[in-house]
Amino acid sequence: MADTMELRDIEVWDGNMAAAQALRQAQVDVVAAYPITPSTPIVEGYATFKANGYVDGEFVMVESEHAAMSGCIGAAAAGGRVATATSSQGFALMVETLYSASGMRLPIILNVVNRAIGAPLNVNGDHSDMYMGRDSGWIQLDAYNPQHAYDLNFIAFKVAEDHDVRLPAMVHQDGFMTSHTAQGVCTLSDEVAYNFVGEFQPMNDMLDLDHPVTHGVQTEEDWHFEHKARQQHALMTAVMPKIEAAFAEFEALTGRKYNVVETYQMDDAQTAVICMGTSVETAMEVVDELRAQGIKAGVVGIRVFRPWPLEQLAEILKNVKAIGTLDRSSPHGTVGTLYNEIAGSLFNTGVKAVLNNYIYGLGGRDLTKAHLVGIYQDLQANAESGTLTTPLQQYIGLRGPKLSFF
Amino acid sequence: MEKAGWDGFEIGAMLRSFDGAIQDIATTLPEDRAYSQANSFTASVADWRINKPLFNKDYCIDCQFCWIYCPDMSIISRDKKMVGIDFDHCKGCGICVEVCPTNPKSLLMFPEQKDEDEALAQWPQKEKKEKEAGVE
Amino acid sequence: MLEIRWHSRAGQGAVTGAKGLADVVSTTGKHVQAFAFYGSAKRGAAMTAYNRVDDAPIMNHEKFMAPDYVLVIDPALVYVADFTAFEKPDTTYIITTHMTTEELIASQPKLEGKKVYTVDCIKISQETIGKAIPNTPMLGALMKVSGMYEMDFFKENMIRVLKKLPQKIIDANMIAIQRAYDEVK
Repeated sequence: MADTMELRDIEVWDGNMAAAQALRQAQVDVVAAYPITPSTPIVEGYATFKANGYVDGEFVMVESEHAAMSGCIGAAAAGGRVATATSSQGFALMVETLYSASGMRLPIILNVVNRAIGAPLNVNGDHSDMYMGRDSGWIQLDAYNPQHAYDLNFIAFKVAEDHDVRLPAMVHQDGFMTSHTAQGVCTLSDEVAYNFVGEFQPMNDMLDLDHPVTHGVQTEEDWHFEHKARQQHALMTAVMPKIEAAFAEFEALTGRKYNVVETYQMDDAQTAVICMGTSVETAMEVVDELRAQGIKAGVVGIRVFRPWPLEQLAEILKNVKAIGTLDRSSPHGTVGTLYNEIAGSLFNTGVKAVLNNYIYGLGGRDLTKAHLVGIYQDLQANAESGTLTTPLQQYIGLRGPKLSFF
Repeated sequence: MEKAGWDGFEIGAMLRSFDGAIQDIATTLPEDRAYSQANSFTASVADWRINKPLFNKDYCIDCQFCWIYCPDMSIISRDKKMVGIDFDHCKGCGICVEVCPTNPKSLLMFPEQKDEDEALAQWPQKEKKEKEAGVE
Repeated sequence: MLEIRWHSRAGQGAVTGAKGLADVVSTTGKHVQAFAFYGSAKRGAAMTAYNRVDDAPIMNHEKFMAPDYVLVIDPALVYVADFTAFEKPDTTYIITTHMTTEELIASQPKLEGKKVYTVDCIKISQETIGKAIPNTPMLGALMKVSGMYEMDFFKENMIRVLKKLPQKIIDANMIAIQRAYDEVK
């Protein structure tokens, strides 16, 4: 039996420590990991807890992120509760195996500490790696601060391991801005946290020797399409109700309420910024200041990035006049991902909001409150004229002459 | 495999070997195992063959080479004795004949339609080792 | 909102200092944030760390800060780092130096007319902890200048923050904190 760790009601933890503590409290059986900044302290933390007797589990050191996820896939197919963490180039190396994990319906939890992808090499936070995972068939949850990184890990285990779901899940947090920023985190006791996640219920596990199974089979044009369709069916129909149920149960337990789409001052908002990660909270503070001046601004934060909350967003945005989508990733050749997703969510709804796109914060570049005030001024002008008053895609916080496209 | 819709199979790229629980599988003969429909044991590839191997036990020394080398586990062996060939799964590749070390071989390839008794009656005699000429 | 910026060299413990301060402040029910600018820089490179303290939850994640306090824990940084960046009229500076406050201001005219305090955290840490780790003494000086907490309360909490260190090192840190508290001018 693992030892219990006594925690204070509020611990000052950074996002990495919060995630590592959640992996300990969920009593993860296997972590196969390869270190990469800024996610390293998560798996290092799990290894330390294990070495000190606070976890009954296995820590498997491997030679690459590709091997780390491969090890996780093997351990999950064998029938264990499995998790790991990565960032950036390591995430990129993991991508091939991410599709195997979701296609094999293995509920692995991957903490992705979002970081830029080189070249140029950069260790700081942006959303390039998170966006790279968006077609991989994983559930993607996004934390805006260390408290969320802690809480969403428990939610992720509960949803992913549900036998109606059986899909892997990523918990994203912003590199450094969350992962290395210490803030107060309201803790759960080891017992309460473990009971919320529940005992791992294996399914089709290879260690059930009375029911031998072959995992990772090959299908060609005869059955591949049906397998992928069934996977999409689960992601599209089973996941959202389970996430909402887990959010409700978590709120009843802790008082902390999470939503598939987070909104702030959206009831009567004429302008809205849509973004992810720490930017959501900074935008909330800016909205408070704008509201004090009588400006009806709001914020929409994506909490569940995959499956994409299309209907929820269409409902939330139906009365907004101007929307700014903020992408912390270079779209390389098109509009930003959030622009695309929001445009797609609204296209058949009759909503006629003016929609534009901001590329910001690449490689950890600061998103200041002043930048956000400028964005809301653009949106206000768009709302008043009912048409785009700026280029469609603008770069903000960039040196030199203004850069924009479309 | 029975035709099913997109939701007619279990999730994941996963197949069960057996229907229901199994115990002591190692000591249960293949024909007595409850192989599932998804297991290739229930599928026949007999029609793939053009030539088939036939077994002549008069010459067999039970070395088990054919059993080891057969890529489709189609050599039936009991208590380390060669018994015969599983013609549901043999594709007629001829590897068993290739590796058979006896003289004459205990396994030989014949056309699929060849009568077994006729084949056994025609089995070749032991080859005499001749001094190879022309080799220095 | 109280905002603090640390100027340090990588390896001098500014991140630990900022996180330790956040931990202590958090026990009083306030909301805290502690972070730093990291790069792939080596030990010795100039770096900055930050604290935010507020009664309400801290939503602001911008790295930009107009600090109330600037803590400089390496004596050379007042000559090479932009330590007055985004200062406010009432920004208070606490600077590690072997000089007196008057000598320091004379050597760095940017400090003229500012609220400046000096303390030799390098010397204090060398004499107490045995190494130039000037982070905890700077916190002692901050307690004195800001009047944030009583010394007993602060030291009691710092003992908890440092609990993983050997007892000898914890004791030395407490002496260092007290000395900086007494010696800052």
